Amino acid sequence: MTAAPPRRPLIARRRRRRSPFVTALPFLAPALLAYVVFVIFPMVESVRLSFFEWTGFIGTPQVFVGLKNYVKIFTQDPVFWTAFGNTVIWVVLSLIIPLTISLVLALALNRPLFGRNLFRSVFYIPGVLASIAVANMWRWIYNPNYGIGQSLGTAFGLPWLADIQWLGDKNIALYAVFVAFVWQTVGTNMVLFLAGLQAVQQEHVEAARLDGANAWQVFRNVTFPALRPTMVIVTVLTFIGSIKVFDLVVGMTGGGPAQQTQVLALWSYQQSFGNHQYGMGNAIATVLLVVTLLIVVPYLVWTARQEEK
Amino acid sequence: MRIMRTVAALAAVGMVAAGLAACSTGDGSDSGRTTVTYWKLTDADPASQEAWAKTLAGFEKAHPDIELKVEERSTDAHKEALRTALGTSGAPDIYWSWAGPGIGGEYVKAGGSLDLEKYYDKYDWKSRFNDVSMSSVTQYGQYDGVPSGYSGVGVFYNKDLFAKAGITAPPTTYDELVADADKLVAAGITPIEFGGTVNWHLMRLLDNILMTECGSETFRSLIATDADWSKEPCVTEAYEQFHTWTQDYLTKGWASLGDAEANALFYQGEAAMVIEGNWFDTMLRGNDVDTSTIGVFMFPTGTGELYGDTSNNYISPTSKNPDAAAEVLDYLTSPEPQKINLDLVGTRPVNVDVEVDPATQDSLDQQWNPIFAEATGVYSFNDQSLTLAQVTEYWRIQNLVATNELDPAKAGAEFQKFLDQQ
Amino acid sequence: MTRTRDYARIGLWIALIISLVIWMLPLVFIIFTSLKSEQDVVGTPVFAFPLNPDFGNYAEAFENGNLLRVASNSLFIALIKVPIGLLISALAAFALARIRFRRNRVLLAVIAIGSMVPIQVAIAPLFQVISNAGLLNTSIGVILPYIGFGLPYQTFILYGFFRQIPEELDESARVDGASYARLFWQIILPLSGPALAALFILDFVATWNEYGMALVLLQTQDAWTVPLAIQGFQSQFTSSYGPVNAFTIMTMLPVLIVYLMFQRYFVSGAFAGSVKG
Repeated sequence: MTAAPPRRPLIARRRRRRSPFVTALPFLAPALLAYVVFVIFPMVESVRLSFFEWTGFIGTPQVFVGLKNYVKIFTQDPVFWTAFGNTVIWVVLSLIIPLTISLVLALALNRPLFGRNLFRSVFYIPGVLASIAVANMWRWIYNPNYGIGQSLGTAFGLPWLADIQWLGDKNIALYAVFVAFVWQTVGTNMVLFLAGLQAVQQEHVEAARLDGANAWQVFRNVTFPALRPTMVIVTVLTFIGSIKVFDLVVGMTGGGPAQQTQVLALWSYQQSFGNHQYGMGNAIATVLLVVTLLIVVPYLVWTARQEEK
Repeated sequence: MRIMRTVAALAAVGMVAAGLAACSTGDGSDSGRTTVTYWKLTDADPASQEAWAKTLAGFEKAHPDIELKVEERSTDAHKEALRTALGTSGAPDIYWSWAGPGIGGEYVKAGGSLDLEKYYDKYDWKSRFNDVSMSSVTQYGQYDGVPSGYSGVGVFYNKDLFAKAGITAPPTTYDELVADADKLVAAGITPIEFGGTVNWHLMRLLDNILMTECGSETFRSLIATDADWSKEPCVTEAYEQFHTWTQDYLTKGWASLGDAEANALFYQGEAAMVIEGNWFDTMLRGNDVDTSTIGVFMFPTGTGELYGDTSNNYISPTSKNPDAAAEVLDYLTSPEPQKINLDLVGTRPVNVDVEVDPATQDSLDQQWNPIFAEATGVYSFNDQSLTLAQVTEYWRIQNLVATNELDPAKAGAEFQKFLDQQ
Repeated sequence: MTRTRDYARIGLWIALIISLVIWMLPLVFIIFTSLKSEQDVVGTPVFAFPLNPDFGNYAEAFENGNLLRVASNSLFIALIKVPIGLLISALAAFALARIRFRRNRVLLAVIAIGSMVPIQVAIAPLFQVISNAGLLNTSIGVILPYIGFGLPYQTFILYGFFRQIPEELDESARVDGASYARLFWQIILPLSGPALAALFILDFVATWNEYGMALVLLQTQDAWTVPLAIQGFQSQFTSSYGPVNAFTIMTMLPVLIVYLMFQRYFVSGAFAGSVKG
């Protein structure tokens, strides 16, 4: 390599004493502007409104009520804890079921296989569709009079199958909606795992095999540890995706029956825009925000530390 | 790099275009025409669609300078759109709404209804409309909206299915109604259908049972939340009765069905009864049901009062063309369109100069005449009388009782608990 | 041993085929229903092949659902939002990755948090902001918040990507007297082709599919985007099962076409996301 010409420091050359921040400003400005006005400000405003009572109609006054909305949702609102519980159940199930299925599929597809692309596409495509479209699809499938339960039940002479109220029975409605969620997200997670599996070094696998390890041992000792970073990404993405669940519930049950498939995001929306109780709606939204931050912030701190290593 | 610059440039142009598009959304006045936006419910059957098309055509001929832009939505979507849009720049010029305090009244309270007094004077509307309609318009202290219609709600029944179950005449008391339901069950017929996903459908049953058990005065004071839901014995009795209906007499799978889907069962003769309003006549005809096989009777509450409501077309105060909007409403309530609707659809006119001629009605429409004539009063749907938050809770309790998740004896107390917290 | 492995492979393949079929069934049923006349929908089981296909369902759905209008709304919004949003994110990511300024990390953290919070947390005040600006029911009223909410994810990904571009390239450019702007347009961006392409595709699809914000900001039916039209159609014509499913199918087609044409970007986009950033 030829000797590089002597490097002159940029700052001295330009004879500027500009702070780097000022240099960065023109690049950051549009982003910061959009972000602050349309994301940060509404989020902060949401927290502020949670301390007021307001119908949301312009011209009606906002009345300061302190913590009253929080007291109401925690102790008096008959639906809040159902919504909270459902959101928790939903998140926990999302972290277990779709993750496992997509991992298994990724492992199965991580080899030269006839029609591999077709497999990958078919599993992935549901994730590309709009959630509200998926919701309406499954709503039809779950139709009690003409959908899958009724069709299979009459075809195979199983009246109990034909009678199931997939979306009308409070005990199974939430899980029925969850099935649609699994259908939608397995593919995207699978693709991520497939990408992560590329990082598993074949030599290690071969070495383990030569040492006499069976498939399970190879997985446990070689593959799984190598998948750790991908696993973390998938977990976080799944968490974020699941705590926001809204479209699927709106499209399939509307929170019913009797508000029993209600989730925090939807209940907050209905209180603000449906009941015109902006204070309560935003209090619920703030709870959602706090819960999200409680999980997300430690994760960010942890990744930052990882990076410093 | 160059490419990106070009993309950026294009995008910038695009944004300008978008900005222009944004500016021109709203009331465009092209070539001198004023645009008036009107939000109403979807016309679900051919007769209503034809009547509206004719009305619109007539309007365009009479008022070539006004362009009427109509948007139609289903019941719940319409309510939601109004709640979100009223008071903002996105509000329509005219919107149709039920007039009760829980719906129309909320809009008025929120400042979503323009006081039309000067138009009432200008067009002499005060002498055009009947008493029921006028009281609906003036109930909030000013002149809110122009009457669109009034309806009566009763129990529609399939005469053939009734005959099959050995029922010779429609019931005149509540006990007879229950006995008839039992006879239907014995004959293997589903007595009554409702859609559960639209809470207001099943609500009609509960409202009527509540009226039956409590009587007119207590019912009204319960709705006004003056009486205590946890203390009135009739409330518990009503929920118990309601519970029995949902467990024994209601169509299977109701919880997952919408109103249209549930009504389809009635059209197909798979359920014997449903509680619907006189608009249902047109829907039956639109679904090719022979209306000579259908009868209707007032729910036997024992009070002589008719379950029903009034609806008006309101003008939004944010409208930029209130005069044009008033023109539209003046036209809609003039004799010509009122007659079109009467003849094609069977809706009862609000214009006192247009009379219902029994000779032009079919057998089902005729059954409504004595019902309207003999009603001693009118009581409205509870989702129109209670506030939005109260209605949400009312429906939740209704559905819990109906799905056997709440003991009917506790329902009243549960609702009162909520009312106390408001 | 080869024998067992062969049998195992075949067994695996069969298991995958079965999973594949099960996975496709929901879509297949919807397609079947969309082609059935009303009697067939109620008369035949949902998995029965439509022997007398009724294509009229599609025409009816197209007409009643105003598909042309809503699709062009969605297209317009996506074509404006995606390039602009991507550009803004790239600019910000560049500043974060290359210009060493204080509070770099804090800013990054604040931006990252934004990507993880559900929009419902901000939706009610956002509605007021847009409403007060008089931008309800307009495309730009939706585009601006979309840009705001799309920023965090894209900035984060691009930040990670830019950091991987060796700094030596920077140095040689700066020696030649390049400003940061030139560095951005002429060095960094061209090298980011793959990441940008992937983000473009992913963002396009995400914008097309967005429902929660559009629901609140677009009330008039002329302004609707495709997802709103899907739900609106369903609520208006609940029991017209054939047309409802036909409408859903039609709305899925553009996205499916995009996927089939740009498959590799979806995958590489996912990969970019899984790179430690």
